[in-house]
Amino acid sequence: MADDYRPGSREDFDRLYQVAYPRVYRTLTVLLSDPAAAEDCAQDAFVQAFRAWSRWRPSAPAEAWVHRIAVNRAISYRRSAKLRSVGEILRRVGRPAPSPDPADHVMRSDLLDALRAIPPKLAAAIVLRHVHGYNNREIAAALGVSERTVGSRLRQAGERLRRALEPSFSLEASSAFQAESPETYAKD
Amino acid sequence: MPKTDRDSLDPMLQARLRAELGAVRPPTSEPRYASAGAPIRVWRLAPLMLAIAFTGILALTAFAATGSPNPAVWTNRVETVINPPAPGPSPESEPAQPQSQGAPVAAPAHKPTAPPTERAEPSGSPEHESPEPSDDHQSPNPSPSPGPSPSSSPSGDH
Repeated sequence: MADDYRPGSREDFDRLYQVAYPRVYRTLTVLLSDPAAAEDCAQDAFVQAFRAWSRWRPSAPAEAWVHRIAVNRAISYRRSAKLRSVGEILRRVGRPAPSPDPADHVMRSDLLDALRAIPPKLAAAIVLRHVHGYNNREIAAALGVSERTVGSRLRQAGERLRRALEPSFSLEASSAFQAESPETYAKD
Repeated sequence: MPKTDRDSLDPMLQARLRAELGAVRPPTSEPRYASAGAPIRVWRLAPLMLAIAFTGILALTAFAATGSPNPAVWTNRVETVINPPAPGPSPESEPAQPQSQGAPVAAPAHKPTAPPTERAEPSGSPEHESPEPSDDHQSPNPSPSPGPSPSSSPSGDH
């Protein structure tokens, strides 16, 4: 990621949006199963980033910085969605289930479902690394953790994904992170 | 221990993940931040806030000084303070202005440019009102009558 953006520049933020919005949206579709929610959170993240654009420091990659805002926004959305879902279940007791949204078909697969089943920060690390090609430093900036923690998360995410998809796929052992100690996600 | 960027995911699974997420097309909606506008910084409003505060303090001061909420009164007061009316030639004539002499009705608004002598005339001293007192000064005591005094008559009888 070549960050030649200038903080506070409207033109540079427009350019950042053109480059980063599709990637941010795809990341959020993994974290959020609802496409509309993914779009909403992505747009909110860019609004928030735009308001803080003058305070952005080039020491952190701009796209990773926006990703960090978007992932945090998605995690907050998931928390509130859980509370809403409880209310929805209570309201729908005794009624027929609604028909599935055709748009959800695109977002459904065993792989994406497995990613959504693991903690969102683990899933985000997988997507940032294996879909967007971020290195450890960029993932660390995107998730607001240290590079050491990134390695730990990638290893744990791989293990969880492998268990969820067995026996469909096999994941090779992550020898690169063998010295990592298990991370407690309650700290985050 | 430095971490490497080695993949820990099966290449086939990685390719499938890229393909599935690559098929996801973000909706081409208008960027929401474009209509959000730039945030208004507080310090940019500082001159306006200072001007409003200064005007408010000025109005309160003027109200306290004049006792009137009318800005026209404040203006008149300022003009009076900056350009006071020319003082009269003699300060003694000022105390004579009050209507103690029973003048018909004093003019409610004296023109500050009016000559002070015109105002001093109706309030003249009582000595100038009637000529009689001046005659009294000429003969305050009864003068001896020109007629013959009783004391001189014996000599005349003689």
